[in-house]
Amino acid sequence: MNPAAPDVAREPTATEAAPAIPAVDAAPEPQSIPWRHRHVLDVDVLTADDLDLVMRTTDAMREVLERPIAKVPALRGRNVTILFYEASTRTRVSFEVAAKNLSADVVNIAASTSSVTKGESLVDTIRTVEALGAQMLVMRHSVSGAPYLAAEVFGGSVLNGGDGWHAHPTQALLDLYTMRQELPGGSVEGRKVVILGDVLHSRVARSNIWSLTAAGADVWLCGPSTLLRGFEAWAARGAAASRRFHVTSSIDDALRDADVVMALRIQRERMASGLLPSLREYAARFGLTRQRLAAAKPDALVMHPGPMNEGVEIAPDVAVSAQSRITDQVTNGVAVRMALLYLLAGVAEGRGTVDGR
Amino acid sequence: MTPDEIRRATIRMSHEIVEKQAGTAGLVLIGIQRRGVPLARRIAAGILEHEGVEVPVGALDITFYRDDLSLIAQQPVVKGTELPFDLNGRTVVLVDDVLYTGRTIRAAMDALVDFGRPQAIRLAVLVDRGHRELPIRADHVGKNVPTSREEQVQVQLEETDGTDGVVISRVPEPAVTAEPVG
Amino acid sequence: MAADAPATVSAPPATGSDVGRTVAELDLSRVWLVDPFAGREGAADLVVRGGRVQAVTWLDGPDADGVDPDGVIVAPGFIDLHVHLREPGNEDAETVASGLAAAAHGGFTTVCAMPNTDPALDDPGVLARVRAAAATSGSPVELLLYGAVTMGRDGDRLAALGELADAGVVGFSDDGAPVGSATILRNALMYAGMAGLPIVDHAEDSTATEGAEANDGLVATVLGLRGWPAAAEISAVARDLAILVDVVRDVPAARLHLTHLSTAGALDLVRRAKAAGLPVTCDVTPHHLGLTDEWLAGARRWAWDASGDPWGDGAIESAPYSTTVRVNPPLRAPQDAAAVLTALADGTADALATDHAPHTEVDKAVEFGLAANGISGVETALGVLLAAVDAGRLSLGRAIAALTSGPAIILGGRSRRATGLVEGAPADLVVFDRSDRWTPTAETIRSRGKNSPWLGRPLAGRVLLTVADGRVAYEAPEGDSAQA
Repeated sequence: MNPAAPDVAREPTATEAAPAIPAVDAAPEPQSIPWRHRHVLDVDVLTADDLDLVMRTTDAMREVLERPIAKVPALRGRNVTILFYEASTRTRVSFEVAAKNLSADVVNIAASTSSVTKGESLVDTIRTVEALGAQMLVMRHSVSGAPYLAAEVFGGSVLNGGDGWHAHPTQALLDLYTMRQELPGGSVEGRKVVILGDVLHSRVARSNIWSLTAAGADVWLCGPSTLLRGFEAWAARGAAASRRFHVTSSIDDALRDADVVMALRIQRERMASGLLPSLREYAARFGLTRQRLAAAKPDALVMHPGPMNEGVEIAPDVAVSAQSRITDQVTNGVAVRMALLYLLAGVAEGRGTVDGR
Repeated sequence: MTPDEIRRATIRMSHEIVEKQAGTAGLVLIGIQRRGVPLARRIAAGILEHEGVEVPVGALDITFYRDDLSLIAQQPVVKGTELPFDLNGRTVVLVDDVLYTGRTIRAAMDALVDFGRPQAIRLAVLVDRGHRELPIRADHVGKNVPTSREEQVQVQLEETDGTDGVVISRVPEPAVTAEPVG
Repeated sequence: MAADAPATVSAPPATGSDVGRTVAELDLSRVWLVDPFAGREGAADLVVRGGRVQAVTWLDGPDADGVDPDGVIVAPGFIDLHVHLREPGNEDAETVASGLAAAAHGGFTTVCAMPNTDPALDDPGVLARVRAAAATSGSPVELLLYGAVTMGRDGDRLAALGELADAGVVGFSDDGAPVGSATILRNALMYAGMAGLPIVDHAEDSTATEGAEANDGLVATVLGLRGWPAAAEISAVARDLAILVDVVRDVPAARLHLTHLSTAGALDLVRRAKAAGLPVTCDVTPHHLGLTDEWLAGARRWAWDASGDPWGDGAIESAPYSTTVRVNPPLRAPQDAAAVLTALADGTADALATDHAPHTEVDKAVEFGLAANGISGVETALGVLLAAVDAGRLSLGRAIAALTSGPAIILGGRSRRATGLVEGAPADLVVFDRSDRWTPTAETIRSRGKNSPWLGRPLAGRVLLTVADGRVAYEAPEGDSAQA
């Protein structure tokens, strides 16, 4: 070898010794799996291809998040309006960060349901927001089904950030992503995934049922019978016969050999409405303690959509244990939301009908 | 172009790149997904053979930097960026298979700037088919292939397509748009 | 008239405002006449002169050839035991005038209005206001009124039942709400029994339905809606019947009418109570007969085609959470709808009553859980019944009886039409074409309330003519069958 010029002083970098050939392979793969959904209101309408596409796009967004400048111009000039009718700092900020990482212009509105009682209907608010330039709407609302009404009225795309007890698609997708990242084999197929807690009032549980059964997981719901009401009928009917799951009040049966345990938040209001005698009793009989977790597989993942009531549905030491993936869920949440905003941005405005059929 | 022509062009370019740099110091090759990546690797292999130096190779996906959002619906699949080295002060040679309007290269430069501040950015392409819409030019060209706008130029590489070659076909504009179903 | 000649409806051309004019001359030839009062149906000719039925001629043998129940059908004018006219208090949703026009469009010549207006119909003065509005409207449709059971429908104090009886109410109801107190119900049944008037109860255990949004079942679970248990209706009916048993010992003339029953369990209790000789009657709605809670999930199939699991068999074709199907009692599961059909067929349900509940867009174009309950149904009732008949689930005769003789019996002598199409009596009839479909739209619906699940969905049995008390109540526009 004969360098033609004197060596320029180079900063020694660790990568000098690294392999020259990148690990990313330009392997043959289908060039386009089209994304056809104008809205993401629930995961029930996402096909296996859709889920796959979301997962792959999230991978790319994770890579972006690791860059020195964690930002890409994909949504530059786009207005993303975040309209939250329910108090939630974490999720609202997560969406805001996601939109900003895509260089979108973000308008963040923390409405409260008192705006409704003051006389401004949801329909009016959405029309106003659209007139102010919103092209994509991220919405959270306390009444199940509200985003479907929004989708009828809004000219752009609607992304559901959680509606009542019904759905929380971005949560289910980030949960799925987290599981696939962390489980050996990179898939949830055949894995025993336990959702533990107040299933009845949980949009996280409902959306996870759809996505996990679609991905072939062995889903178990567990909690006090009052908080599982109606799910046995769902499990038995299949609601799409291929998507069966288990419902039990026996925490031992549920946790035995589990691969993933997802604990759900228990709210104080549940006692007020007579569904539970006390939080203490719930913690004693259904709380995810180190002892109970031992029945699951030794490397089982511990997850929680947050915010946590430590000491109630999950013991503090379990929440920070080596098995806990709760902080990964938060990071992955930003990546998943970036992925969805990106995919939705590609769908032309005004075309197609309300997602749902 | 025949496989032999592609091989010779690649080797020639690998020499040219070193010549322009007056050596291999500070060089990094960054292939633009998809086919720019195996091309970059081939060039790096060429440099290794005649200079005995391993020049770092990276992969850049410009999907997030395109200026046309409607492409997302048709081609949402993202192929991945991997730049396992520091760009600051380096001479980056972008490698792509076909140079056409120049928009891909513009997007690539936007992306690079987010990763660091290279000392210089150069461009090596296997095929230059003309019809530039932006003031972009390649420093190293495998072959100039004049085409008309109705034609489509597709480079095939063994790593991605199973065989080496360049195919020119006449197709109607543009690709089928995916209709949103809601 | 030659055999195989088509049915004809001929009347002199209309002049000026059609509604309200006396039918001077009307000849209905070779039509299919269904008269549940006469207990007869078949090919017939019918002649009306000067507003009265001049002749009803049943056709036999070769004269009847070519006349069948698939074309033009004539029946006595329909009677609706349960409508909500929003005047006074909510005229944006409906007025007496618009409600009567809607009723006539649906083939109804008598409607009974519920007292949950504002102010409530708990005082003869308010009744007079409503009746004056009916007179001003010029509609010949008969408007009968229920009085409230309790003052202001507050559930605490009995309304002036005697005074209201004197003012001509046909019964008492707190509909919208149940008669919550067992004591009040018992006292009301006894008191009203003195006048031979029924208490019409909306049977619902409100403690079990607080915040409830949708029938407690698979659909509510998947959609995350608060469940409305069937038990809330069943237990309320059981309570009402138990009270009735006590009451008839002292007041044999007491009568209980249960309205809009929606569950198999409740209908079963009524069936057994009737068999035991209790003076109870009941009605069911077209929507509880024709639809199920699958519609909330976005399915759009008739109840008799429903499986109960719309996600399982790809029945979803619309967006979920449509507020046009938010109603009290809620749409139930397929087995309940089937029980409603059976009850209508076997007479357990005496009548079909629409529970016509018009609402403004403002009250319906909101989130599902916040939407007002109710379907604007008086114009689509016939179409829904005919769908059941077409599907072989109900005979045409029973369907028409549920709209005519059934409710007439419950009203006793309080309606001017208790006899059907009798020669010499003022004409009360409806003419509709079973083979002609019409589509309810915001334009074709006469009611101010456009809250109908059938918007945009064609229904059979376009009404051509409604005559009430010998006068035109509704007449279809000339020559255009694509719109009603």
